[in-house]
Amino acid sequence: MKANYHHKLIIAIVFITCFFTGRSYAQDSAASTTVLGIRYFLPENKVPYIEVSTKKKVGRVFEPVKGLPVSVYITDTSADNLLGSTKTSSNGTGRIALPPSFKAAWDSLGEFTFVASMPANGKEEAQTAEITVKKAILVIDTVSEDGVRSVTAQLKEKVGQEWVAVKDIEMKLGIKRALGNLSVGEDETYTADTTGLAIAEFKHDSMPGDAKGNIFLVARVDDNDTYGNLVVEKTVPWGKAHQAESHFWHRSLWSTGGRAPVWLLTIALGIIIGVWGTIFYLIRQMFRIRKLGHEYEKDIAV
Amino acid sequence: MEKLKKFSPEKITSDLLPQKFGRRGVIWTIVLILICGIGAFAYIRQLKYGLVVTNMGDYVSWGIYISNFVFFVAISLVGSLITAIFRLADVPWRTPLTRISEMIAVSAITFASLIIIVDMGRPERLLNLFLHGRIQSPIMWDVVVISTYFCISLLLLYITLLPDIRIMINAKDKLGKPFAKFYRWLGGYWKGTEGQEKIRNRSITTLCIVIIPVAFCIHTVTSWLFATTYRPGWDSTNFGAYFVSGAFLVGAGGVVVAMYVFRWAYKLEHYITERHFDKMGKILVMLALLYLYFNVNEYLVPAFKMKKPEEEHLTMLFSGEYAPLFWFAIFIGMIIPILIVIFPKGRKPNAMFIAGVMVVIGAWFKRYLIVTPTLLHPFLPKYDAPAKFNHYFPSWEEWAIAMGSLAGVLLIITILARLFPVISIYKTITDHESELPS
Repeated sequence: MKANYHHKLIIAIVFITCFFTGRSYAQDSAASTTVLGIRYFLPENKVPYIEVSTKKKVGRVFEPVKGLPVSVYITDTSADNLLGSTKTSSNGTGRIALPPSFKAAWDSLGEFTFVASMPANGKEEAQTAEITVKKAILVIDTVSEDGVRSVTAQLKEKVGQEWVAVKDIEMKLGIKRALGNLSVGEDETYTADTTGLAIAEFKHDSMPGDAKGNIFLVARVDDNDTYGNLVVEKTVPWGKAHQAESHFWHRSLWSTGGRAPVWLLTIALGIIIGVWGTIFYLIRQMFRIRKLGHEYEKDIAV
Repeated sequence: MEKLKKFSPEKITSDLLPQKFGRRGVIWTIVLILICGIGAFAYIRQLKYGLVVTNMGDYVSWGIYISNFVFFVAISLVGSLITAIFRLADVPWRTPLTRISEMIAVSAITFASLIIIVDMGRPERLLNLFLHGRIQSPIMWDVVVISTYFCISLLLLYITLLPDIRIMINAKDKLGKPFAKFYRWLGGYWKGTEGQEKIRNRSITTLCIVIIPVAFCIHTVTSWLFATTYRPGWDSTNFGAYFVSGAFLVGAGGVVVAMYVFRWAYKLEHYITERHFDKMGKILVMLALLYLYFNVNEYLVPAFKMKKPEEEHLTMLFSGEYAPLFWFAIFIGMIIPILIVIFPKGRKPNAMFIAGVMVVIGAWFKRYLIVTPTLLHPFLPKYDAPAKFNHYFPSWEEWAIAMGSLAGVLLIITILARLFPVISIYKTITDHESELPS
């Protein structure tokens, strides 16, 4: 009975091992072809652009694939609808902005389909990817009530000839900083209410701004299935004025070579002169030894 | 050593004069030239296509070249340890080791300078360092101390060689006329007069005094190239002492290996005796323990605090991607050599040779570990960087150039050993005469 139990256990272990090993190989091998992606961006409610990406699964992570040609079309892949072609960069992406010749089509329609097409080559199979977006704009504004400052944003989609605010949209409200956006309030994201308005209380009173105290508020909708990616900025004088003091012409460790600190020059040159002075003295001693040798030769000859 | 007392000066001279390469020597030299040739080919490719042929990027901008540079600077420090410190301390058994260490120092510092130029990518801009250099930059300090140390090492080798050059000129029948002509050009003016001897002795003492602070500077400044930048693993006030102690260890290991090889190749058993291995073994243990102590300081203190950026770096070293290499460097480069050499039996030539090789190999990987993992973990977050920037493994061109430079160091030592005695003939004879009963 015990032997039978062991057999069952071994069979179960072998089965589980084979099952998971097979699964992992299947995952890796199935995903080893290039994946084509497409995203829609509308910065500052102006000219939209399409970003395409090519990536491939290597092991268990996706690595970008560079140098692949990708064409982007509007509506379908007929030649008349070609927006442009690009080659993916080292990070596996490429961008195509909407050309001016498509302005009329852009103004007249409320919903668009963009198609990315990658032709087959010796290594890769042909791929297509498409995205459908509703035309929308993002509006950012500010409100001050009882000394409390807030940032508001609304996503508005085009319905007929009207721009109508969309409710329940998740968006980010931030302040533009050097390496990214800092959230305006305590939450990472804000959802538009029933009137389509997202509000965040501004809680950074002493935020350093530019020389005039201006800071840049940013509202963004990221990877929305219906509207894509939209970003809009607004400049407000809510920051602390920051006058960059220039020490460029002062002697310092970070200034130009000609403006090294005097203490450093003194120490460095003192050491260099001391050591190289000794080296030159020793080289001179070599010449003295040489001279003594020649004098000795002359004495012997005499 | 006892047997040496029975040797005549003629016998000592005959034993220590440079010898022609045998078959093994010729093969060894050809192999080194071939490796250097492959390295030169890879470097020509780098010059033609630029640093893009390397796998260095925005984050790992100092790869295997700078690891090699630090290694060469470290091993070159041995010239000051054996020659200068032993001479000033009047260590009586130093004579068979000084020339070997001076040769290692000159060849290593030569390639330390060259590998920096390789790393620059645009060698024609080297002159700009001198024309527009900023004395505020530790890189500039490094350029200054390396060129200074190179000159001092060369002078030290040359001045101590002068009496031997005279001996070699006199042995022209054995060495051949072309060699004699070269020696006459190099130091034919040396007659060994009292006046010359006095100046020479004073010059050597001066050099020995100057070379010690310069040697400390060269490796301290090299450590500051890292420590003056704000990064996990390098942000340490201990780095100067840590580097200098590591340099003395690898230098001593290098000398032990060279002692063994020259002793075996030139049959110098009566000159480089078991006593020398025993003494060097004790020094090696002391230096390995010292370096181990600094390593404990460098890793234990940040590991105890485990600040976030340090944690990523240390985890990568202790149990992550670089763990095999890290523990290899710690065990092979320090702990196992200590365990071998701490016992008297481990200080016999064969065991010492194995320990010396371990120290040198461990030291090379240690330098690689000091440079690369830290660069993969900057304090500032990586922003919009390609995935490949998260890893670094040198390209074949980098390996070829690095191995070519290592072969180049060995080739210079080989050529110097073919041209000059690896043990000072003059000093051995004078030591021998002073030991004889009057």
